[in-house]
Amino acid sequence: MKDVYSTGEAARVCKVSQQTIIRCFDAGKLQGFYVPGSRFRRIPRDSLVKFMKENSIPISALDSGKKKVLVVDDEAEIVELLTDVLQRDGRFEVKTASCGYDAGLLTQQFHPDAIVLDFLLPDINGNTVCKTIRSDPTLADIKIIVITGYPDDDRLQGLAELGVHAFMKKPFQIDTLVSKIAELLAV
Amino acid sequence: MTAPRVRQKKMDLLLCDAETLPTLPGVAHRLLPIVMTDPLPARHLQQAIESDAALAARAVLLALRHGHSAKGLTSVDAAFRAVPSETLATDFLSVRIASRESLDRAFFARLWRHNLAVGIASQIIATRLGTVLVEDALLAGILHDIGQLVLAAKLPLAYSQVLELVEAEAVDALEAERRVLGLDHAVLGRRLAQHWGFPESLQNVIWLHHQAEMPIPEGSQAETLARVVHLADLLARQAGFSYHPADAIRENTADVAARLGLSAAHADLISRQIVAGVRLNVGPSGADDTPTPDQMCDLIADANARLGRLYAISAARQHSLESQNRRADLTVQLTARLAECRSTREVLLAAAGVVREAVDARIVVPYVIGSEGEYIEGLAWTAGKSTDEPFFYEIRQERSLESLPAEGWAGPGAAGEVSRAERIEGWLFERMGPRLGDGPFYTVPMTLEGRKTGGFVFALANPAHHPTRTQAGDLASVAGIAATAVKRAQAETDLNALSEDLAEATRELELAQEARLEQRNVTSLGEMAAGASHEINNPLAIISGRAQQLALDEEDPARREMLATIVNQVVRITDILAELNEFARPAKPDLRPADLAALTAEVAAGFRPGADKPAARLRVETPAGCPRVRIDPGQVAEALREIVQNAFEACTDNHTITLSVQPVAGRQAVRLTVADDGPGMDPPTRARALNPFYSSREAGRRRGLGLPKAYRLVQASGGSMALESAPGHGTTVRLTFRAIFEESIPEKLLAEADPSDNRSGRKGDA
Repeated sequence: MKDVYSTGEAARVCKVSQQTIIRCFDAGKLQGFYVPGSRFRRIPRDSLVKFMKENSIPISALDSGKKKVLVVDDEAEIVELLTDVLQRDGRFEVKTASCGYDAGLLTQQFHPDAIVLDFLLPDINGNTVCKTIRSDPTLADIKIIVITGYPDDDRLQGLAELGVHAFMKKPFQIDTLVSKIAELLAV
Repeated sequence: MTAPRVRQKKMDLLLCDAETLPTLPGVAHRLLPIVMTDPLPARHLQQAIESDAALAARAVLLALRHGHSAKGLTSVDAAFRAVPSETLATDFLSVRIASRESLDRAFFARLWRHNLAVGIASQIIATRLGTVLVEDALLAGILHDIGQLVLAAKLPLAYSQVLELVEAEAVDALEAERRVLGLDHAVLGRRLAQHWGFPESLQNVIWLHHQAEMPIPEGSQAETLARVVHLADLLARQAGFSYHPADAIRENTADVAARLGLSAAHADLISRQIVAGVRLNVGPSGADDTPTPDQMCDLIADANARLGRLYAISAARQHSLESQNRRADLTVQLTARLAECRSTREVLLAAAGVVREAVDARIVVPYVIGSEGEYIEGLAWTAGKSTDEPFFYEIRQERSLESLPAEGWAGPGAAGEVSRAERIEGWLFERMGPRLGDGPFYTVPMTLEGRKTGGFVFALANPAHHPTRTQAGDLASVAGIAATAVKRAQAETDLNALSEDLAEATRELELAQEARLEQRNVTSLGEMAAGASHEINNPLAIISGRAQQLALDEEDPARREMLATIVNQVVRITDILAELNEFARPAKPDLRPADLAALTAEVAAGFRPGADKPAARLRVETPAGCPRVRIDPGQVAEALREIVQNAFEACTDNHTITLSVQPVAGRQAVRLTVADDGPGMDPPTRARALNPFYSSREAGRRRGLGLPKAYRLVQASGGSMALESAPGHGTTVRLTFRAIFEESIPEKLLAEADPSDNRSGRKGDA
């Protein structure tokens, strides 16, 4: 659970611009402090919750404190399995997509912390999904975990260059997968 | 000795050497110029023959000698047709002349006229009768007293007594002959005619022309002819043409004529005609001429000279015929021997034998030049040695031999001439030199279509001799035949080689086809497995995942164990799929130079005899100095391990597995052989040995990917893998790799292998 937020994080939680948060911080509407020896503003969790309540901003996003994981696979049973596993763990908020198009859309809206991606999707190659995500700087912090039924495909070479953080073969050990995601998201 | 036997003896003596009877000097004097004239005046010759008993007899005899049958040889015409007139002329060059000393030549003259007269008379009678051929009557008449001629010519002294007896006691000639000689000319003449093979009608005439009663069928042609001559004889004698002035005619001419249906008046008329006929014929015949001894000498000298020339011509012809015969013998002999020959060497050996016989050679060296002039093949055959010495000289371009006349040959010898060999066949002496012995050597070329294809070099047994022209001709014939035979043998050899090559090529093609099928089989199975693995892995992931979930919540340890089993079995399936996938798409080989022998030794060292079961012995034979190969050492080692593992599994402790490495294909390739003396595979197993899903072992124990995997890995390194196995003969696997630093290797040694995997069009690759 996060205790201190940067202005950017606060802006994302409140779904307002960073400038708004800074203005409110400077106007004293949002209590916080400067990082000693710098001009970086920091907002404690309590003052952020008070600010959101005063301004009628829904605090659900802040409240869960869970990491958002997007599961992308064309196999519904796999999606279901992964969703089950991750939700049962309790640390993850899970959204799912069954094709590359949905995956792109949800990445923008949901802004997941991690994507569990089946490498071979019916419409878009996993390669393309990775490249698209990595070409957007605002999505730079998303961790990508690739799973595949093809263990030795030549196209899996160079996944690291595409910004893939982890790679797993199907079938997988579910606890291994979960701990890998947790490790990547530092939870 | 009894009288008949004495008579027989005498007759035998008279019969031999009676073929050439004498004629009158005047006749010979006329005859010789005729037979020496070119072209031959055949009509004059025939006239001469028709008026002379000796010549007529000779003509008939020659006709018989020329193969004319006696039947039909009843006239001078017939004899003349049967014998070329030139032959008659040549024969008459050696005409005999009645001797002067021994017997009164007047007798011969009278006898000659008598014969002519009887001939003419017979002719006239036959003309009048119309039942006997005139020509037959003439010849019969001329020859009727041939016996008398023989007696007078062969026994002149005794016959003088006969003539004296005729004169003194007025007996007829037959009686006188019988008294003096013990036989008469009628009997002798008949025997002579029989001996010579004259026609029977003539024999009868000669025998019976004195008798009224004849022991031959009455009314036959033969009887009529004999009666004609009988009458002619009587009429001629009546007309004064008797062989002796004291000759008395005892028979009744009119009776004899009547037997033929002729009247006395007819007979008189005929008599007068005889006189006229004789008179007409005697002149041209030369019977009355009396040439001087000088004239005769000159003429006879001329005839002798002509005979000499003719003899020379005929001798030359004879000689050439003889040499042609010998050559024909040689060629027949050679052809017969060559018919058996199937190789160049056999042809040369046969030809050498014939050459040796043809010229009595001490040594014969037949050789042939390769059709491209690229080699010389031959052998040295030496008299007295049981074995010949074959040789084969390759003609290298950098060392072209002087005087190797392979092309454009038109040198001496082509026309059947023997040349000295030392100059022409320098290459032979350069190479065989002293082994050939002392010369002089000769050479005869074998030529075919104007090209020199080889030759015979030989030395004679007697070095002082030189091959004659005839021998040269013989050798040229032999060489000609040998050249053709060599070509045939070469063609046959080539054909054999070609068919062997074809068979080999066909076999290799079959193997390649088999290998290709095998590879296609292996590849497609692998492809299928790889494609399936993706599809299978998804459900496996679900099964495994769900089982894991259930296990997490499961309190009951037994049930948790079951769920764990599910998960583990899924892992096992995954492993199988992974292996299949790896088989279908082996990792890209990392090709680099490697020592196959060292690699083999290393792999062998990795196999430790298993403690759990007795293992076969492992033997390694890796000679030093094998060329290196370009392979992925890791993959090939893995392949080798699979193959050896497979062998171990097939064998038990009393078997041996042998690993050997040796260079093949002229060091252009290296072969690694894994051979075991184990039970071997039966044909169905062998056929499926490279099938990735096939295993002869218990299901589940091993997936049977060992050999197929090795096959793929070897291919990836550019090698080929061949499997040979039969029940009871063990299994042998041969891996062949291209050696490094060699320019080329026969493609047949390497099955096509493409180590770079350029597959595309996979699922989802859009």
